[in-house]
Amino acid sequence: MPILETRDLSLSYGQRRGIERVNLSLESGRIFGFLGPNGAGKSTTIRVLMGLLRAASGTASIFNLDCWRDGAAIRRDVGYVPGDVRLYPWLTLARGLDFLSQVRGRDVRPLGMELAERFALEPKLSVRKMSRGNRQKTALILALAHRPQLLILDEPTSGLDPLMQDQLMQCLREQAQAGRTVLFSSHTLSEVEALCDRVAMIRNGQIVEDSSLAELQAKAPRRILLRLTPDSPPPDSLPPGVQLLWKPDHRQTGTPLTSAEALLLSGIPLEHRGHTWVLQLQGSCTPFLKWAADRNFPDVVLGPPSLETLFRRYYVTDSTAEGANACAAC
Amino acid sequence: MRGLLNRIRMEMQWPCFWFSLGLFVAMGLLTALLPKVLGNIHEMFERLPLIKPLITALLGVDPGDNLSAQLSQAFLWTHPTVLTLIWAWELMYCSRLPAGEIDRGTADFLMCLPASRTTLFVTESLGWLSSGLLILTAGYSGHLLATSFVHPEMRLTLRSTLMVLSNLAALYLAVGGLAFLLSALSDRRGRAIGSVFAILLASFLVNFLAQFQTWAKQVSWLSMMEYYRPAIVIQNDAFPLADIAVLLAIAAATWTAALAVICRRSICTV
Repeated sequence: MPILETRDLSLSYGQRRGIERVNLSLESGRIFGFLGPNGAGKSTTIRVLMGLLRAASGTASIFNLDCWRDGAAIRRDVGYVPGDVRLYPWLTLARGLDFLSQVRGRDVRPLGMELAERFALEPKLSVRKMSRGNRQKTALILALAHRPQLLILDEPTSGLDPLMQDQLMQCLREQAQAGRTVLFSSHTLSEVEALCDRVAMIRNGQIVEDSSLAELQAKAPRRILLRLTPDSPPPDSLPPGVQLLWKPDHRQTGTPLTSAEALLLSGIPLEHRGHTWVLQLQGSCTPFLKWAADRNFPDVVLGPPSLETLFRRYYVTDSTAEGANACAAC
Repeated sequence: MRGLLNRIRMEMQWPCFWFSLGLFVAMGLLTALLPKVLGNIHEMFERLPLIKPLITALLGVDPGDNLSAQLSQAFLWTHPTVLTLIWAWELMYCSRLPAGEIDRGTADFLMCLPASRTTLFVTESLGWLSSGLLILTAGYSGHLLATSFVHPEMRLTLRSTLMVLSNLAALYLAVGGLAFLLSALSDRRGRAIGSVFAILLASFLVNFLAQFQTWAKQVSWLSMMEYYRPAIVIQNDAFPLADIAVLLAIAAATWTAALAVICRRSICTV
């Protein structure tokens, strides 16, 4: 039975779009990535799950309880970090742990103090004197300290330095190993890729993808760098599933690279750029490998599946696509 | 609930202390000084004719050319300093949930605790009631202490004082209930405070204009100040049961409506 489930969940902010027919299902003991660009509806979905917003239609349940009606009971076993962490200025971690121990009716201080040490946070420092990163750490510790069965984290790494981000990732992996469930929202793909078992992508308030990471990787394209010899003729055709992204005669010699080209050619030494093709492979590698083996290319680099490309493809809106086409035409 | 009450204590103990001290001092000073100042009120009425309608509006009765000893004591309970201190406290306190919490961004933290919105609101209301008790007791203590410096003939009887205090407590409840309701309907604390302030100001203005304008007299029953008239209570020496009942009805209706709104509304921070 899923620990968290939404069915056709919809909500709008008057004229503004919120979310539309969102369907999610989380199994326990998993880390679930919830991806989407800013304003896509991640926080709205999470706020409905936390009982802060009332859905216009559809259902949302956690532990088989209704998120709106049984919010208080659900929140007993949920740890939540909002997207924009704001805490009381007088709060210190120590006071926060005392407060939560009273509210939750169990002593959360021992684990809280342990986490404070792990996240290098001074327990007596008040929020008004904290940096943004320390406020984020405080919110994380307060969310984790009661060992919740479900953690709902809305962009939890924002404000954390890379070392603390690693520490958080490690901590979340431990939570999953202990059988707890994590809903991890982010707009940074690499975080989700490094952490999650399953990923849902939301765009314009609608879920556009909900797959395991392995399924997503199978769908994701790979980048291929194909180096030709200066005197050999370029290939006259490409194998199925391979698309040409860039080749040197696409542009006039000496003109500066556009930012898109620079991104494509990153990692290619300058002296090879004049005879390197950039390709994209979708699907199985075998046809391409056979095709490449028949030709005598001096160098072929086959990259890993790029979720980044998949992610960008999902998120490109009609308007941005039109903009990109217009730029290409220039 | 203990944790939630402790949170309120942490946040509000010092403001409550300062408001209580302020009211203690203000009521003490006014009790001691008003009889002396108001002894020559007829001269003031001659020099500044606008003072008389103002005092009439505050007292709810025409003081004539000279204020009686008892009426001058009634003036204490409607003095703008006293009412301002009490209302300022109420506006500050009762606009915290949910408007204040949304405004400062802490609503997510508070409302995602394992407590229902009813529990949060009831806890907040308990803090409001107990702080009101403290503040009114402080004011009364200031008054009581200062009466020893007042001529015995100028003193109010304990019975009259307690009747006026009951009326003031009912007004406290009505204003607080209204503030809770407007806070529940708003996402901005400033807007909630401004709305309550505007209603209180309108109440006072209607009471003031009722002396000159027939239309204002006709709608004066809408004014909250119409149900808080210490001068009449002292003059008649009768418990203002009807006035208190109206104020308590306003308090109950607005508080219940506030609870209903808080339990049903979405908490939007975007």
